[in-house]
Formats: sequence, structure tokens, C-alpha cells
Amino acid sequence: MINDIRVGSLIAYCSVKRGNKKTLIFIIFVLSLIFMNLVFLPSMIGGMMVLFTGYMQDYPFGDVVIEPSGDNTYINDADSVLQKVRAVEGVRAATKRLDVGASIEHKQNIVGVAVTGLLPTEEYEISRYPYIISEGDFLGDLSRDEIIIGAAIAGTSPVFGEIYDDLGEVRPGSLVDVTYSNGVKKTYKVKGIMEGTFELVDLNALVHYKEIEDVYGLEGSKATSVVVRVGKQGTEEQVQDKIREAGVNEQVFTWTDKSETLIKQAMQSMGAIDVMSKFVSLIVGAALILIIIYINILNRKKEIGILKAIGITPRSIVLSYAFLSMFYVSLGILAGLVLYFSLMLYFHANPATFYETMEIRPVIDPMLLIQSIVTMLTLSVIAGILPAWSVSKESILKAIWGR
Amino acid sequence: MIVVKDLKRYYGSGGTAVKALNGVSFEIKKGEFLAIMGASGSGKTTLLRILALLDDATAGEYTIRGLQVSSLPEAERSYYRLTQVGYVFQDYALINEMSAAENVYVLSMMEGKSKKESYEIALEALDKVALKGKHNRIPDELSGGEKQRVAIARAIAKKPDIMFADEPCANLDTGNSKQVLDVFKELNEKHGQTIIMVTHELWHTNYVDRVITLEDGKLISDEKKGKPEDKTK
Repeated sequence: MINDIRVGSLIAYCSVKRGNKKTLIFIIFVLSLIFMNLVFLPSMIGGMMVLFTGYMQDYPFGDVVIEPSGDNTYINDADSVLQKVRAVEGVRAATKRLDVGASIEHKQNIVGVAVTGLLPTEEYEISRYPYIISEGDFLGDLSRDEIIIGAAIAGTSPVFGEIYDDLGEVRPGSLVDVTYSNGVKKTYKVKGIMEGTFELVDLNALVHYKEIEDVYGLEGSKATSVVVRVGKQGTEEQVQDKIREAGVNEQVFTWTDKSETLIKQAMQSMGAIDVMSKFVSLIVGAALILIIIYINILNRKKEIGILKAIGITPRSIVLSYAFLSMFYVSLGILAGLVLYFSLMLYFHANPATFYETMEIRPVIDPMLLIQSIVTMLTLSVIAGILPAWSVSKESILKAIWGR
Repeated sequence: MIVVKDLKRYYGSGGTAVKALNGVSFEIKKGEFLAIMGASGSGKTTLLRILALLDDATAGEYTIRGLQVSSLPEAERSYYRLTQVGYVFQDYALINEMSAAENVYVLSMMEGKSKKESYEIALEALDKVALKGKHNRIPDELSGGEKQRVAIARAIAKKPDIMFADEPCANLDTGNSKQVLDVFKELNEKHGQTIIMVTHELWHTNYVDRVITLEDGKLISDEKKGKPEDKTK
């Protein structure tokens, strides 16, 4: 076997050293594109995931979110939970929220929305809601009968304007009627329009926490969620454990837990595209590698016959093509990596824009790169071995003289 | 050394079968320099390929030193071709991407010799065929005669017991042909190598000890021109 490897290496080495350089460059170029095809789209999809999960942290869930246990609608003593949570090491800020369903009416336009009751001054440390007011102002501690409306509902969103029903250009100062899920109807003055270029935000409305308490007649500081931000990113799971240890008996999730259930559901179709794209890339890649190596081998069929005729073992011949194929693919991967990182640099400087304002920067996933490299190398071995093995099984006379 | 009994090689089957060899029998002694002659299509190349284990006979027996080589499995035939047999092709059959030395030493490496030792063996063989200084040239940089000498060096480097040559001078001019035949003659006379050469040039027979002639797949004459035992003394 050692002799087979030595001779196989020598044949492959000579073939590379003295083979046609133009053909070699072309093969490497095609292989680099195959590699790019395997890694580029998943990187872009990864970038979208990061963007969306970032939105989930910045708006509905924070870094850690506490929700009612079991079938309960509310966390019963949210203030007590907040007190425990704020005492936990690693927690930067926490607040309580009340989310309810409602419909908003303005000049006979009616739109269904989720209304979040929040404590405005606390939100500055928790979410980006206070920072995305495109018109008017954010709520204050004394805000009553005032509402913040998402741009998609208000009808002012340049991004979602043509996608969703809206109230027909609501502006700060406009009056809107909100009918809550319990049937209570209340008129609010629009204090501000928020524009987060994210559907879950721009289709939402915000009021003061006290408004929801009053409308639903809630007592004893109830909340549908307690949203927590941590001091250092990456410590979410440790903080989650510490919150549980601090005696909080409600359900405690990290934003990644919530992303898995929510974002990943939303991204399922994208994921399916990702899987299909990888599958198709692999099939196309495998076919291309096979074709390239097979053509190469067919061109050298006579050479294979000669090698067999002079006593070189078929195993050495097959190994030489496996080495040759691995060499081509390794160079193809290297060229593909250069191309890939160049594109990554470009897209980080010039992100792809989605919905005009959402900037998607591709994510470099080392595991994806490793998987793709291993896949390509495995394919190269198969692509090198199969045709060479098939030709090496032919009779010497057929290989050399075609009969 | 070599015994061939009623060797047959048919292409196709039934009434349309082509009988390339139709019952050929002869013996070859160690150290003989034998020429196989005949018109085109007489079966001489087919016979040589079967003897060199490049092709299979349809029927008949073929033994080398009593070993029934025609029935050996492919792995053993391959080993036999590597260690016992040298073959010089009409069209040189060199690997174009290998230098003259690499074309020769690849076989020594296959036999398990180190690269250094293999290289030295290759240089020695190339020197023997007067290709000193041209070790690193690839086939495209060599003349037809030089290519054929590289092919001979490849065949003799492993010091095979038997060397087969299929019209080795077919693509060469008279001068180059003489050089090649001189190399064969020297190998045969000095080293006692058994050489079996297919040729259709009558003047080539001046170099050999014995000539067998085929016609329509049958042996029609077997003419001795010298005594091989005299040369090995």
C-alpha cells in the first residue's frame, strides 16, 4: 500500500507539474465557484437571522424574558419578580409589560393591533422604542390617554405602506379609538409615530402601563412579561439560571430560546430555501467535480492503460487520481475562500438592503465553512476514485488502443 | 523457458469470428533473441501481447518456467508484468507529463525501492541507451529515436528475464533503428536477456538468433540463425 501511495503521489505530482496550466486555472476557478455557492447564501441567511434576532432583543424580549407559568395569563406579582431580578448579579435593567389585543379606528379605517402597556422611563434602558420615534414624542411617566402608533398602522411607513392595512395617515395629535379585547373602547391622542422597520414593531401600539391596568381592571402589579437586559452579552444563560435560583417561579427564557420558537418559525421558509440551496449546490458541485475529473481521466485513458501495461497497480492509478482530484479541490477551496472573504468584506462595507432600511450583513459561520470544506474534499475523493477505478478496470488493450 | 501450445485468439464469435491466432505452438529458450515476422494481420502483435500478459488467449496453454501464466489473476499478472517482463511499444507509450527519468524510475518505486535508489537505477538505464544528460527532458523534448530509447530504458531498468518489443523501429529512420537494435543486441549478448521482437523488416533479422513467421494466425516457419547457448557462456 505504501508503494501504491508513493507511486500515486508521483503520478499526480508530475501531472500537476507538467499538465496544462490553463486547464488547471479553469478547473480551480470552477471549483472556487462551487465552494462559493455552498457558503455564500447560507451566510446571507445567517445575516438575516442575526438581524431579526437583534430586533427580538431590542423590542419584545430583551436578553431574558420572564413569562407567566402554566396557563396563567399574567405574572401575578410582577413588582416582586422585578425586585428579585434586579438584585441578580449581571442584570443591567428590567421592566414589566402588559401585552393585549385591540383594534384601532380612525376615520372609519379599522386595524387590528397588539398594544403594549409599558413604563416609558424604564424603556430607555430596556428597548429601542424610545429611540425610534419618527414623528412626535415618546410617552412619559405622566402620559395618559396618549398612544404611540407603529408607522405601518399609522400609514406613514415607506417600507410597509403597501403591504398592510393602515389608518390612513395618522399624525401626532390625531385622535384614534381603541377597542380592547375585553370590549372597552377608549379614545387616545396620538403622541408619536414609531418606525423600527420591523413588522413586529411597526404593527404595534404603545400606551402607558397604567392604561392597560385600568382598562382591564388589573390589581397587584400584574404583567404579561418581565423584560430583562444583561450587563454583558453572552451571559444570558447564566443570568437565566441566577434568576431561577433567586426564587422566580415563572417561566424564564433567554432571547435565543424565544428566537428558536418564534424567529425560527418565521425563518422556516428561509431555512427551507437554505437547505434546498445547499442540497442543490452539493448535487451541482458533485456533478461538476465528477465531470471535470471524468473528462480529465478520459483524456488520460491511454496513459492509464500504459501504466497498467508496464506493471503499475490499478490501486496506484486510482490513488493518483484521488490525489489529483484532492489537489484541484483544495486549490478550488482556497480560491473560493479568498473570493468568499472578499465578498464578506464588501458586504460588510456595503450591506444588502432589505425593505429599503434593513441592512443585512452576511455572517461568517466557521462551522459552515468547515462543513463545506469537508464536503468538498469528500466529494473530490469520490469524484477522483470512481471514474479512475472504472477506467482502471478496463482491459489494457481497450484503454490504450480502444479495443 | 517459454512454452506455447496450441494458442488461439478469436475476436467475436460464431461464423463471423476473426481468428487472429489459430493454434500456434512453439518453445523459446532462455537467452534467445527471437523475431516474430509476418504480413499485417498475420497475428504477430496479438501473439506478442498474449505473451506479455497484456491480452488473454481464447484457448491454449502458455507457460513461463513451467508456470501457467495465462490463467493468473489480474493482480498477479500485474506483478509479473512489473517484475519479470519488459515491454517496448511501437509508439513508445511514454507518460508525457513525466521526464525521461521519471518514466523509468516509477517502476522501481512501484517495486518498493527508495526514490534515491530508483533514480540511480533510472540514470544507469538511461546511460545504457545513450541518453546521458537527457534525464530531465519530457517526451515532447525528445526525438522519436530518443523516445524509443527511453522506452527501452524503462523496460531494461528492472532487469527483466524477458523483454518484448512490438515493432520498436516502426516509427524510426534507419539510423535510429540501428541504434535501437544495437541496444537489444547488447542486452541479449552481454546480459543474456531473452528478447522477443515483432518486426516486418527483413534486415532486422540480422540481429536475431531465430525467426518465426506467422500467416493467417498460424506458424508457417521457424528458422534458427544462431545458438543462444553460445552467447550465455
